[in-house]
Amino acid sequence: MSIQDFDSERLINIGYDSCTASCGKFMVLDHTILDKSSNISGLHVMPLSEACKAYPHVRDELFFKIVDKDKNENTQLAARSPVVGYYVLVDEGVKIEEPLQAAFLFGTDGDVQVIHNIIELKEGAELNIVNGCTTAHNCGAGRHIGVTETYLGKDSSLGYTMLHNWGSTMEVFPVGATVVGEGAKYISNYVAMTSVKNIVSCPVAYVKEHGSARFYSIIYAREPSFFDTGAKVVLEGDGASGEIISRVVSEGGTVISRQMLSGDVKGTLGHMECSGLLLNDRGVIHSIPELRGAHPDINLSHEAALGKISDEELSYLMTRGLTEEQARSLIIRGFLDLRIEGLPKKVQMLVDEIIDRSLGGTI
Amino acid sequence: MSFLDIHNLHVCAGGKEILKGIDLTIETGRTAIIFGPNGSGKSTLLGAIAGLPGYEITEGDILFKGKSIRDLPVDERSRMGIGLAFQYPPAIKGVRLGTLLKTIKKDDQLLKDQAEMLNLTQYLNREINVGFSGGERKRSEILQLMAQMPDLMLLDEPESGVDIENISVIAQALKIILEKDKPLPKRTHSAIIITHTGFILDYIKADIAFVIMDGHVLGCGAPGEIFDEIKAHGYKKCTTCFADKYRDMVSGDL
Repeated sequence: MSIQDFDSERLINIGYDSCTASCGKFMVLDHTILDKSSNISGLHVMPLSEACKAYPHVRDELFFKIVDKDKNENTQLAARSPVVGYYVLVDEGVKIEEPLQAAFLFGTDGDVQVIHNIIELKEGAELNIVNGCTTAHNCGAGRHIGVTETYLGKDSSLGYTMLHNWGSTMEVFPVGATVVGEGAKYISNYVAMTSVKNIVSCPVAYVKEHGSARFYSIIYAREPSFFDTGAKVVLEGDGASGEIISRVVSEGGTVISRQMLSGDVKGTLGHMECSGLLLNDRGVIHSIPELRGAHPDINLSHEAALGKISDEELSYLMTRGLTEEQARSLIIRGFLDLRIEGLPKKVQMLVDEIIDRSLGGTI
Repeated sequence: MSFLDIHNLHVCAGGKEILKGIDLTIETGRTAIIFGPNGSGKSTLLGAIAGLPGYEITEGDILFKGKSIRDLPVDERSRMGIGLAFQYPPAIKGVRLGTLLKTIKKDDQLLKDQAEMLNLTQYLNREINVGFSGGERKRSEILQLMAQMPDLMLLDEPESGVDIENISVIAQALKIILEKDKPLPKRTHSAIIITHTGFILDYIKADIAFVIMDGHVLGCGAPGEIFDEIKAHGYKKCTTCFADKYRDMVSGDL
């Protein structure tokens, strides 16, 4: 298996495009690191195994510190496996506009790919990462386990966009945890538009004083894909805030959308929302919102709505000359059109393009 | 062959017969007004011509450009040249007005100019009708019709909920679609306009008016005269009026 087994379209669909300006790159095929680079002073991109040797604090203070290695059989396997993945460090005060492109490619039938990434932003640092995962076009069944531990220093800011483009026989188990430091901002943006056997993931963010964590997810579940995804935000510091927004379309697939907000101290603020669109009667969307308050001076809320495309909306668009199929596509595209405040225009455009392509360009 | 020919049209909505044998003819380039009290079947008539679901034609036919459209779906009727401005258009979350307009018409510059004319430039990036006021919805409807440039416009109370200043803006746009700057024989676009207030008549010269009551066309005639009669005597007297004044007029075939 080599990079030639991945056609350019599959790489573009996970945001890995050599024509796009980026501050750095990191690419793994199965368990081999193919590319690692940093084009900006103050940004360090290196294999995590090297970082563990070069920086003792990575090994002692960051590695498997906020993800429990005994959480489940996947994390246990990750803890036993050779360390493959990146360590990304942004120095204090370094603000980077161009995104860092990372790609994790799966190419060997029946294999289990285990990845462990650690991201560390020092005080006042800013970074955007576009993480893409895909399989070779001819690849059969496989399993991907991805552990990501993220540490955001005071007043830092990270935009973390995850683009999944797996095959229909892949089983995927990402495990993520983030510490959002005082006044820091974390935006997680998850997009999955293609079939997969199953994905189970519920990242968690621990938010310190006046920090904020926002999780957005866009999932299009084709039959017979199974997603058990969501996010958990634990508001630990005064004035911390969180938001979890998900847009789910089921075209025969099953999606369990878990969302949890926990406010433990005064002045914490959070909102979550799950909107689901069922395109046929073969799919299931199961929204599970949870709010937990442990102080009277908090403000946490949630809303959820599941349903089908409204006949009235379809007819309305069809009076403008759109066919029923065009009208449906326009409504579905609109439903998935999450405008994420704080996401760089370039990354938003990338997400938009990927969604447009995966919906087939009916419009 | 007439542009629009409606014969003995019976339409049911919600399990009830609303139109009970409508006969009506519109010629190319003409603007027709429909008057009638609430519940008389005006909106049902437009819905049936446009082909909206929920309006079941049980008898009669609608011929558009010489072809029966009775069994055509709403989108095919639209592509044949029928455009509808809804009285209460729905809000469509997620779909931006500009996106829909670009889907209808590809000419970006023209769309921008038309949006500017209707004071809707700021609304192109907003979701269709989400948070729009009544007047903004009406202008959005007209903007969509401008993108479509239909041969037959169906306007369901285009001026209701619109302030005086914006009625003028809407009328200006409608005049463009209806090619009111051209002499009648050169015009190719027609319209049927439902109005309660008649304000639109101050801005757009209509060629004929029909009065519909209880699912029937009571009669037709000069729009200004009929509107004056309605203002003076209400709809109750229309039956007598038509018996006396428009006895000789047939079904609106000008």
